[in-house]
Amino acid sequence: MSLKSYSRARAVHVMLVYTGGCNGCDIEIVNCVLSPKYDIEQYKIFLTWNPREADVLVVTGPVTRHNKEPLKAIYEAIPEPKAVIAAGACALMGGVYKNIHGDIPSEEICGPVDEVIPVDAKVPGCAVRPEDVLAGAVAALPLLLDAE
Amino acid sequence: MDEDNKITDETPKKQVIETEVPLGPVHSAAIEPYRVRLFVEDEIVKDAEITVGVNHRGIERIMEGLPVEKANSLTEKICGICSNIHIWNSVLVAEKALEIDVPERAQYIRIIMAELERLHSHLLYLAHGNEVLGHETFSMRLFYIRETVMELLRMVGGNRVQYGVPVIGGIRPRAELDQMKIQKIEDGINFLEEKLSNFAERFISDPMIMSRITGVGVIKKEDALRLAVSGPTLRATGVAVDLRRDMKEYDPFDFDVITQDDGDIKSNLLMRVLENFESIKIIRQAINHLPEGSITNRSWEMQDTPITKNYVEAPRGKLYHSYALNDGRVRHCIIRTPSITNIGAMEYACIGCHITDAQLAVVQCDPCFTCTDRAIQIIQL
Repeated sequence: MSLKSYSRARAVHVMLVYTGGCNGCDIEIVNCVLSPKYDIEQYKIFLTWNPREADVLVVTGPVTRHNKEPLKAIYEAIPEPKAVIAAGACALMGGVYKNIHGDIPSEEICGPVDEVIPVDAKVPGCAVRPEDVLAGAVAALPLLLDAE
Repeated sequence: MDEDNKITDETPKKQVIETEVPLGPVHSAAIEPYRVRLFVEDEIVKDAEITVGVNHRGIERIMEGLPVEKANSLTEKICGICSNIHIWNSVLVAEKALEIDVPERAQYIRIIMAELERLHSHLLYLAHGNEVLGHETFSMRLFYIRETVMELLRMVGGNRVQYGVPVIGGIRPRAELDQMKIQKIEDGINFLEEKLSNFAERFISDPMIMSRITGVGVIKKEDALRLAVSGPTLRATGVAVDLRRDMKEYDPFDFDVITQDDGDIKSNLLMRVLENFESIKIIRQAINHLPEGSITNRSWEMQDTPITKNYVEAPRGKLYHSYALNDGRVRHCIIRTPSITNIGAMEYACIGCHITDAQLAVVQCDPCFTCTDRAIQIIQL
């Protein structure tokens, strides 16, 4: 393990972007960080709101039309190496909002997330459980650490 | 010569530089995407504007034409914080339209869920408020207390966020309470009451926090009424309005309507702290006097109904649902959430604040923009 990976593994910064879900996943992920029960900081993962500082991007929600361009801009602003985690059913397949009555796609939704930006790890659930978010964040770490 | 550029004899006014400070849509203090534009002079906010619409998903459009059972479970997806009250109100609309009697045991369990949800919503508000305030210790402490409520919700409803307990005519069989679950709820709320009174004592007696939040972001009573503010934000200005008093489901329960006087951030925070104790009181009465009997009434028939509306008291204020039933399907669905009227109060509370207090002044009104983003404006091009 290089010195860079060694030090990077001790300060992973996660940025959270809400792209129009129901808030359920968002509060569970914030719960993950702030609640003493889950406490993601024990794995040296910290929450940040600055994309230029971030290593991991956590996206929730089905990507509404207004959020498509900002999401791309935030993704571009994160320096390499980076990992993207899509959390929740909406981020994975558009959730209940994407398909109206069977196969008619909603014109309000541009998701799922992997149609907008490349996704590395997927966390299922409606809403996601904090334990799963922890597992997803830890699963994304090798992408950062093994990068050239 | 252009009329506007003509120099007059009036003494020139003092040059004021107005700066615009945008916050959001993705901002550290905002749990959800919305945009606040602050117009600032000398670090004092002169005007504020909140823009929503980033979150628009068109949920009423999706509900339109669905079978009523499906539409009810879809209303839960409007908001992840107050999901139970949405499905409850939607079910109440159908029950009111079809004149269905709900067994008493089901009513009690619905109320237990509603009050547990109010507890978790208020605790989230307090934790978030303390985080924005800069007091992370209290914030983490409140998240720790809140975890008890989340565990109780998961035990009764089966999920931490979307529970789906009410169905037309009663509750889902999954949410039936046996003796063990009742015991767990009792233990949970006892623990919660002890921890919350500890927290309240320390919060009120902390001179640093109190001096930081007293007299900041004031909403006056007459302005609150003019802006049609609802819920705890209105009660914090001194108006004793609680829709739970008018709901027949809450008739057997004894609880107080908490009010505060000042309408500032301190009143808003204390309001939620004290309301938690009322919720605990209601849950305790419900589990002590839980009636025996069935939990669903299956003897009802679907028929066409005109547009029916219903109001309930959500954790954030007055919640309105209305729809008509045609052929078992939902038509003309309209939902109005409390935050849509509280936006006026958020803009109003910012004015006159120091710029560092502006986000706190918005957060004190308990914004929930995922609920709110439903209106669209059609512009002819």
